[in-house]
Amino acid sequence: MKRGKWARGTISRETGLLLLLLLAVAAFRILFPVSWESFATFDNFASVVRNLAFEGILALGMMLILITGNFDLSVGALASLVGVVTGWLMKQAGWPVPASIVAGLALAAFCGFLNGIIVARVRVNALITTLGTMGIFSGIALLAGGPGITFLPPSFARLGQSQWLGLQAPVWMLVILGIAAHYGLAHTRFFRQFYYIGSNPKAAHLSGLGVARLQILAFTLMGLLAGFAGIAYAARVATASSTVGIGKELGAITACILGGASLQGGRGTAWGALLGVLFVATMQNMLLIKQVRPEWQGIILGLVLVFAVAIDAVLNRGRAA
Amino acid sequence: MKESQGIGSPSIPPLLAMTGISKSFDGVEVLRKVDFDVRAGEVHALCGENGAGKSTLMNILAGVLQADAGRISLNGDSVAGFADAHAAQREGIAMVFQERSLFASLTVAENIFVGRQPVTSWGAIDRRKHRVLTGELLREIVPEIEPDDSIADLTSAQQQMIEIAKAMSLHAKVMVFDEPTAALSSKETARLFAVIQRLKARGVAIIYISHRLEEVFQLCDRVTVLRDGVWQCTLETADTTGDELIRRMVGRDVEMPSVEDAPARGPVLLEVRNLCDPPATKNTPGFLRDVNFQVHAGEIVGLAGLAGSGRTETALSLFGARARGAGEVRLAGKPVRIDSPIEAIGAGLGYMSEDRKDSGLFLEMSIVRNISVTSLRRFGSWWMRTGRERVVADGFRRQLGLACRNVGQNTGSLSGGNQQKVLLARWLLVEPQVLIVDEPTRGVDVGAKAEVHQLLRDFARPGRAVVMISSDLPEVLTVCDRVYVMCAGRITGELPREGLTEEAVMRLANAAGANGNHRP
Repeated sequence: MKRGKWARGTISRETGLLLLLLLAVAAFRILFPVSWESFATFDNFASVVRNLAFEGILALGMMLILITGNFDLSVGALASLVGVVTGWLMKQAGWPVPASIVAGLALAAFCGFLNGIIVARVRVNALITTLGTMGIFSGIALLAGGPGITFLPPSFARLGQSQWLGLQAPVWMLVILGIAAHYGLAHTRFFRQFYYIGSNPKAAHLSGLGVARLQILAFTLMGLLAGFAGIAYAARVATASSTVGIGKELGAITACILGGASLQGGRGTAWGALLGVLFVATMQNMLLIKQVRPEWQGIILGLVLVFAVAIDAVLNRGRAA
Repeated sequence: MKESQGIGSPSIPPLLAMTGISKSFDGVEVLRKVDFDVRAGEVHALCGENGAGKSTLMNILAGVLQADAGRISLNGDSVAGFADAHAAQREGIAMVFQERSLFASLTVAENIFVGRQPVTSWGAIDRRKHRVLTGELLREIVPEIEPDDSIADLTSAQQQMIEIAKAMSLHAKVMVFDEPTAALSSKETARLFAVIQRLKARGVAIIYISHRLEEVFQLCDRVTVLRDGVWQCTLETADTTGDELIRRMVGRDVEMPSVEDAPARGPVLLEVRNLCDPPATKNTPGFLRDVNFQVHAGEIVGLAGLAGSGRTETALSLFGARARGAGEVRLAGKPVRIDSPIEAIGAGLGYMSEDRKDSGLFLEMSIVRNISVTSLRRFGSWWMRTGRERVVADGFRRQLGLACRNVGQNTGSLSGGNQQKVLLARWLLVEPQVLIVDEPTRGVDVGAKAEVHQLLRDFARPGRAVVMISSDLPEVLTVCDRVYVMCAGRITGELPREGLTEEAVMRLANAAGANGNHRP
């Protein structure tokens, strides 16, 4: 299969993005040899991956949703909400840490399930549904936690701050989730169905797949992962912020699209989602080191996104002709 | 009725004349030097089987398609054709669609004058004039509708009337009606005909496409028959008969069916008793009514009929993909209750959909994955044994003579015939007791067509059965052991192998008018 793709003179979006990333790094080294000294350090790498863990987990969930042909704008708000509720339970309500975490994850899964029911059963467009629930989730987060809940118990903070091989726990969580998602998507019957329903829901229905059920499951998994990201982040900074997730849903969608997903569904890999997140984080890091004004970050990443998708569209058109 | 006296006298020059129109798609000629004309105040029917070229001809007239050769003359001005639909509209040519081109969220008045609302001297939309003009148009044809009514609240017949009003407001000189009665009740049809008569009296030239011969005789002055893209004849309806038109439409030498020997008829595998749609309203029955048929093991049973006669609906109802009313289905003698495709597949039923791109294939996915989709559990309940999956797909590739680089190739890049084979392989892998194939060779070239036919025979022979829905009559005649014909949601007859002729099928396919069973 791989060789077939090469023979056709086209490469997958994942490979293309990897090449682009390597190219950007190489260019940085040649153009800015002085800055390279501060870029190519383990500490810098550790800080990049530490910061991308949150969005990485969201992007894995978003990839599942995108593969089924939907998307979810509520995940950033949901991550905030779950972090705040979990923090509130352990700080204000005095619940033990494990129970608070389980309750937080249950809430996350339930909120995702709700999104799924509205989209798949009531058949409200996913954009509208999750735009609405985004507002609801972030509103509740602010009501419950104000700006945030600080000084969370040390036993909880330890979960997010402990290190192994110089990398913090959330990074390792992302690695484990990423490997699981990769094998799940590539090799299990359950996740294979996601590709079918995203690619052609009518044909999937007539092939005996439970389209609505699978869509709901995808949203539920997404919710669970968003909650997981929110809790992991809260543990790392020992603070549950009500606004940590703002805009993160768009970052996750951007990363997934860069990594090969399509808004039409049926395409994408876990590896692509991670690569997309890594690409965005690396670019941001390089711009930061060069002290480029933050306004430029949006412009440059926007250009890369549009170009990547446009090039892909042009190549696809060429293949169809 | 003054106009009709002039009809038929060759001295009256036609309002519209299309001469020598040819058109090919991808090297396949779909129209060959077709001549067609229509006079002011005339209703001219255009008849032919599915694929005869009627729609292509009308799309050329409407500027949607451009002819490869030929000319169109309107009022004596001869042009090579219209560049686009707007150009045709400016010249006074209007297509009357059913509901399709209306904006459901706008009002009647806004729809009729979309893009060209009357304006005040200030340049704002003159709402009052807008309403008055619309009201005048509506009074003439549908007085019960108000200009401010919302399109979404109208029935499909009323929406069609709005389409006509729109064409009238454009001062259309030529109006094309393409199967206008397909979704109308007999009462609504009568009303449509009255409006057409009025348009005719105003001197509008009307082109009327219909499969329903009784309508052609009731409404039209002349009729032109196309077959395989070639003009056959233009006749005065008064001088011809339904049988003659059917003969002209079917026309080709009927090749002797190549079914070797009548198969040994096994026991009844599928039995459908009084299958109905749920009632549309309390007192009106649904579209499908009392569908009865039986399929024996080893048989290929045809389900013939015109487009919209209820064949696909019947299949989807059996397969659990469509709401169902009363009726009983037995598979191998056992009554089954099927409410979803999952249950249907579990019960031993397969359905290969008619539109492979829309509801059949996963175009951006590989051949392997397209074949295995209905049999995923066979390759693992949790981990997929992808190697085994590929081996199976490779087996089908050899068995069906699939032309592809390898089975990892995307199905979207295959030819129509190969795509159809992939779809077939999917169901051959499932091995249902009864496989329903819907238009299995649509858009497939002749060679692949014969291969698909052979595969279906091989599939049915060892005690399974195939139900074949097809609008391609020669295909039905060569492949099927027995044929049921449908019309307007009912089965109008059963034809055994011996009585199977194109004429017989066409007669039954047009039988609804005779029985007064219009689609509600």
